[in-house]
Amino acid sequence: MKPPPFEYAAPHSLDEALALLAEHGDDAKVLAGGQSLVPLLNFRLTRPALLVDINRVEGLDGLERGRIGALVRTRRVEREAAQPLLRRAATFVGHPQIRARGTACGSVAHADPAAELPCALLALGAGVRLRSTRGERELLLDDFLVGPFSTALEPDELLLELEVPEQPAGTRVGFAEHSRIHGDFALAGAAVVARPDGLVVSLLAVAERPLRVDLPAEATADPGEAASLAVRDLEPGHRRALAEALVRRALEGAE
Amino acid sequence: MKITLEVNGGTVEREVEPRLSLADLLRHDLRLTGTKIGCEHGVCGACTVHLDGEAVRACLLLAVQADGHRVTTVEGLEAPELRAAFHEAHALQCGFCTPGFLMSMGAFLREAQDPDESAIRAALAGNLCRCTGYLSLVEAVKQAAGRIAPRP
Amino acid sequence: MSYVGRPLARGEDERFLSGRARYLDDLHPDDLLHAAFARSLLAHARLGDLEVEAARAQPGVVAVLTAADLTDVLPPPVVEPPGMWVADAGHPILAASTARYAGEPIALVVAESRALAEDAAELVQPDYEPLQAVVDPRAAGEALTRWEKSGGDVDRAFAEADVVVARSFALPRLVAAPMETRGAIAQHDPDGGLLTVWLSFQDPHRPLDQLAHCLGRPPESIRVVLPDVGGAFGSKGAVGPEVVAVAAAALRLGRPVKWAEDRLENFLAAYQGRGLEADVELGVTRKGRLLGVRARLYADLGAYLISTTAIPMHTAAMLITGAYDIPAAEVAVVGARTNKVPTGPYRGAGRPEAAYLIERMVDEAARELGVDPVELRRRNLVRAFPHETPFGWTYDSGDYERCLDRAVELAELDRFRTEKRPGRRLGLGVGMLIERSGGNWESAVARREPDGRVVVRTGSSPHGQGHETTFAQIVADELGIEPTAVEILWGDTEAGPAGVGTFGSRSTAMGGSAVLEAARRLREEGGMEAAAVFESGLLFSSGCYAAVVEIDPETGVLEILRLAAVDDAGRIVNPLLAHGQVVGATAQGLGQALVEAVRHDESGQPLTISFVDYPLLTAWEMPELRSAFVETPSPLNPLGAKGVGEGGSIAAPVAIANAVVDALHGVSVDPPFTEAKLWEALR
Repeated sequence: MKPPPFEYAAPHSLDEALALLAEHGDDAKVLAGGQSLVPLLNFRLTRPALLVDINRVEGLDGLERGRIGALVRTRRVEREAAQPLLRRAATFVGHPQIRARGTACGSVAHADPAAELPCALLALGAGVRLRSTRGERELLLDDFLVGPFSTALEPDELLLELEVPEQPAGTRVGFAEHSRIHGDFALAGAAVVARPDGLVVSLLAVAERPLRVDLPAEATADPGEAASLAVRDLEPGHRRALAEALVRRALEGAE
Repeated sequence: MKITLEVNGGTVEREVEPRLSLADLLRHDLRLTGTKIGCEHGVCGACTVHLDGEAVRACLLLAVQADGHRVTTVEGLEAPELRAAFHEAHALQCGFCTPGFLMSMGAFLREAQDPDESAIRAALAGNLCRCTGYLSLVEAVKQAAGRIAPRP
Repeated sequence: MSYVGRPLARGEDERFLSGRARYLDDLHPDDLLHAAFARSLLAHARLGDLEVEAARAQPGVVAVLTAADLTDVLPPPVVEPPGMWVADAGHPILAASTARYAGEPIALVVAESRALAEDAAELVQPDYEPLQAVVDPRAAGEALTRWEKSGGDVDRAFAEADVVVARSFALPRLVAAPMETRGAIAQHDPDGGLLTVWLSFQDPHRPLDQLAHCLGRPPESIRVVLPDVGGAFGSKGAVGPEVVAVAAAALRLGRPVKWAEDRLENFLAAYQGRGLEADVELGVTRKGRLLGVRARLYADLGAYLISTTAIPMHTAAMLITGAYDIPAAEVAVVGARTNKVPTGPYRGAGRPEAAYLIERMVDEAARELGVDPVELRRRNLVRAFPHETPFGWTYDSGDYERCLDRAVELAELDRFRTEKRPGRRLGLGVGMLIERSGGNWESAVARREPDGRVVVRTGSSPHGQGHETTFAQIVADELGIEPTAVEILWGDTEAGPAGVGTFGSRSTAMGGSAVLEAARRLREEGGMEAAAVFESGLLFSSGCYAAVVEIDPETGVLEILRLAAVDDAGRIVNPLLAHGQVVGATAQGLGQALVEAVRHDESGQPLTISFVDYPLLTAWEMPELRSAFVETPSPLNPLGAKGVGEGGSIAAPVAIANAVVDALHGVSVDPPFTEAKLWEALR
């Protein structure tokens, strides 16, 4: 399963990287962690003419309160992210060898409906900062995620960083998922953010993109009831039942 | 493209195609065939190597990405207690997955503080074995982690 | 000091632990060319003219071969089990006018690198005229095999039965998925004329014969060499079209040609296991005596017959009475032609299917009679040996009741029978196993070296089993030396000796006995070298697996609370290695029960083509296993040994199945027992 031939560039500056994306547009793909892209190349499911490897660009690996840069590896999120929900969700991403290379921004740009980090970030009300030679724009993650493996990212844009808003004092967070095999894609999962002013539930693998459900703060008091409310718009069936149980589990374990 | 990298402590210079994977560079250019290819989509772990000391999938890295970095393969892995534990516990049968497990567990044991069985099983889950059924691998890693005395 | 029976760690481990073991793709002969295949994108289609000029013109491409270039190359020969009608439907080396499964090889591209070969292979795509694809074995209009067998007075048995239990079952296809995919390197020496083929294979003997047949060359003109082999589980025993094509290419091109199968190819084109629909009837008296069994088996055979495709269903039918003294049995096998990759032996190869059917039926009968399923088994187990089944196989030795008792004890069934788990569904299940092994012959040559070592060449070849150690133990005992003074060589038809092959868990009993006899002769005759050929009839291992499962009705998630494995493989030469086989086979059995299933859509497109779609269990999922050996030696070989390599894959799936159905209060479901399936069953 060897990939089709492609050109390769490893720019050292952001401007250089953006210039390449502007020039090649749809014919170029960004290589960050490669944990999703390289399998697609190996299966020949994607055939970019150019790979723009951003791993040598300076200044993209900032991880501080509220911001996650493009080259921050999932492993760093797991260990060092300020937000505990992200630390917890990251532990479910594949295996340590995948987390060592894969990036949080890459996961968001890839937009797998079963991915953990987009789901958790959605529950936190996160945003994305996109940059191109044309300028910069910010979007709510909820608006950025369009469908399965589909986002609002333009061909000449780079997902520069994730913006994670501060949660109010007294917020508790929880995450639960179930996969058939450890490290495999989840059958369903839930991130919960229990804020004093409201309960936010985000579900993965139940729809074409992560689903966000906003519930009143009082719902937190009864995890079973809250879980039932969180899944009420899903098609009845096993996946909904599983998602409901996971919402309840995430709430019961919320810290 | 010309790349220069350190492999098992020695410097290597090669001219490579962008699409050449690190796994293929190691195996076919450098003839370090200990690293195996099992799936080429990052699941089986047979290709696990250390990049700058961290366990990664060599099948998901392009050789050009390793330029300027430090790579360790099973041929360069210093882990006598781990190997001895694998041997004693019969944690290998056909041996094809063994280098990948050694590389993954070598990294794991360097960092893990007194791991319990659950942590060991989770760590092992990053590599597939079709022969052993894993229980002897769990046993081997426990031994190597020093939790239990080696088999008499 | 006796070494046989001791749990010695393996002497051969060093090369595997250091990374110095050499598997097929680790070999780099000079001047090597690389092969890739253009494969059919459709499951059933007429193929228009093949455009190969674009591919031939690609950089680095040395040759593109199509069926038109291989008209003198024959499909691999098909083994016909006794009495079975088998169609003339061997696997063409490259599809000519019709493709019959998605992934079927259409053209061979040979280039300076694998990547270049793949680039060129993409350019070879014919005009397809799609044809209707058959995916359901029951609905197939064409059969590739047919067989009916009857033993005892079946009509009378069913007339006398107080209760006739009738059920249907479906066992999906499985992928053997060894960690090392298949591969071959073929090299022709124009001077001597020798064609050397390195193969990732279970043995060198069968491929030599198959290649001689396909290429129309005398066997002496071919040499087969096995490097280290990274697992096989039955999937590397029959030569496929790719190997033949590569050998043919090497003959033409004057340079060695390597085919290193990748994982996608393995999912698409390696022959698969199982794939069976069955309708079964069991006649029982009110007192719980099993009088007769009737079964109709529809095998999802695939598009062609590879050499061993017909065998698993024959074995499944022959073992339909299982571990029980059932006097009458009748089986009809229809091997349906479907537009899928062919099937062949995969760990168990017919024994798991047989065990599944009879063991599920015994549980169903117990449920209908209101009898405890363990008790119903006890009333019907074979007790006197040798025992001849209604179909004429003779079980050599065994103590089935002891295996049953021990498994029940290890799994703590009696305790769990009365345990209450609020909000959860608890289920108990057992499964008896019969493993047919041995048979035919094997040979060995033992030679004393001047330095005191003894070198033994064996016709058996390992791919994980540890023969280098177990055979050394056998020789050590025979000659009164240390196992470290014994070297076991294998896997080269030029060095020999001849053999039958490593499959069906036969090597310890057959290869080991040949090694023992050769060593014995060496000792008794006092010379420098001695050879032996050992022949035997079939050997029958047995055992019982037991499971306790718990299902969460809210989510369908299944947890295995207890899993017990009791195997009777006769005399155990090395308990450490034997235990490794039990655990490994059980892991594959659990995979079959819980997560593994090949899937196709209605047009025959395979949906399981990666480890993402077709997951294997990891260390996280593997439960604790309580295992024990019962050793009833076989009277048929000097070791007293039988086969130990497949018990877990035979009995673990049905023990889990019976436990699951018990937890579902009798709702019958087929594997894999996924969360969704269990959740639905509880609605």
